[in-house]
Amino acid sequence: MVKKKIAKILAFRYKLLAGILILLAGGLVLLPKYQEHEGIKPQELLSNVISPERYITTDQVAHKLINRDPSFILIDVRDEKSYANYSLPNALNIPLKKLLDEDSKSYLNQNQFDVVLYSNDHFYADQAWILCNRLGFKNIRVLKGGLNCWFKTIINPMKPSENMPTEAFDLYSTRKASSMYFGVVYPEQANVAGSETKIKAPKRVITVQKRKKKPAEGGC
Amino acid sequence: MKELEKTKRISIAAVLFILAVLIGLLTYKRPKYMYAINTKSALEKLTSDNYLITLNDLNNPDYVLIDVRNQFEFEKGHMKNAINIYTPDILSDKNLGLFNELKETNKTAVLYGNNPQEVNAPFLILYQLGYDNIKLLAINNSYLENKLITKNNDIEKSEADITTFINESRENASIEQEVEDIIKAPKRVITVQKRKKKPAEGGC
Repeated sequence: MVKKKIAKILAFRYKLLAGILILLAGGLVLLPKYQEHEGIKPQELLSNVISPERYITTDQVAHKLINRDPSFILIDVRDEKSYANYSLPNALNIPLKKLLDEDSKSYLNQNQFDVVLYSNDHFYADQAWILCNRLGFKNIRVLKGGLNCWFKTIINPMKPSENMPTEAFDLYSTRKASSMYFGVVYPEQANVAGSETKIKAPKRVITVQKRKKKPAEGGC
Repeated sequence: MKELEKTKRISIAAVLFILAVLIGLLTYKRPKYMYAINTKSALEKLTSDNYLITLNDLNNPDYVLIDVRNQFEFEKGHMKNAINIYTPDILSDKNLGLFNELKETNKTAVLYGNNPQEVNAPFLILYQLGYDNIKLLAINNSYLENKLITKNNDIEKSEADITTFINESRENASIEQEVEDIIKAPKRVITVQKRKKKPAEGGC
């Protein structure tokens, strides 16, 4: 008789356990809300966004381009028409709408190259930067002032007036030389110049190595 | 008796498991600020929404002006009826409370600063936290004789046609040249090298 009672209680216990486990499974419904919360914390995003570290000046970018620095990629976030009209040499076009597509992500989510985003002014480039920063992409910078500043400083640099220090004049001559590199022709130069060297863009192969997780190495 | 032992162990294990899960749930701390939309939908909304307004649209009584500059600039001169919330402070409890209030009473918060780029940061952060009742006032603020001057600003307007400029400079220098194509980006091949799994290396 006692055995039968014990058997009954035991059977009930299993039903109870099963019921509790099903309830917990129902709690999985709460997960989707958490999925919207992807990326770094808002406080962290705020502090990253406030700091001006992400800006890079047009002079620095011109310097990198002239020295054929291989470690960075330029990305234009304007639409295709503006890109086709004029763009920096060797720049890629990823319109803002397509920023988070799979193939664009492969350019952004890698730590081999520095990425410099730019647009007409740094408004859209900043927006792209903030979204990428939320997803945790590193090594992304923004060209301060965008192409408008590029025009004002590199293509058509402002001639310093007589009362400016020597540094201003040096800067002006550097900028004038960069503008010649990027295609602007000055009348004085034309009379001297002979044949022009065409600047061809070298074919670049970017290898992005995906690191596989290595199993734990024992030993030293 | 052996049967009873086995079932006892299973039930004890099950109870411990449920206890562990319950304790995990109870001690789970909800993050203080939660994003309401993920990055993809944020991007879609950004590129399709019309969140920019100009000075002419400001006469709406539902708009509450918010100045995101620091206190010093605010006191130098600010727009009428503007509330000052400095960008690093927008995640404080008091300010988020203010935004919640605005959302509930269906008012639109209009953010402005010295230039639209300054406002980009707080605007995007609030937008992603779920406050979609905010707009950006695209203006430039400057000071003249201690008075604030506000002018409309066209966002991302191309100020100079660089190709035309370069072509003109060529014409002025009167050099015979074929029109050079804009250096197009070469096709880039990103090869993803998958490393083979190395067996666990033991020892030095």
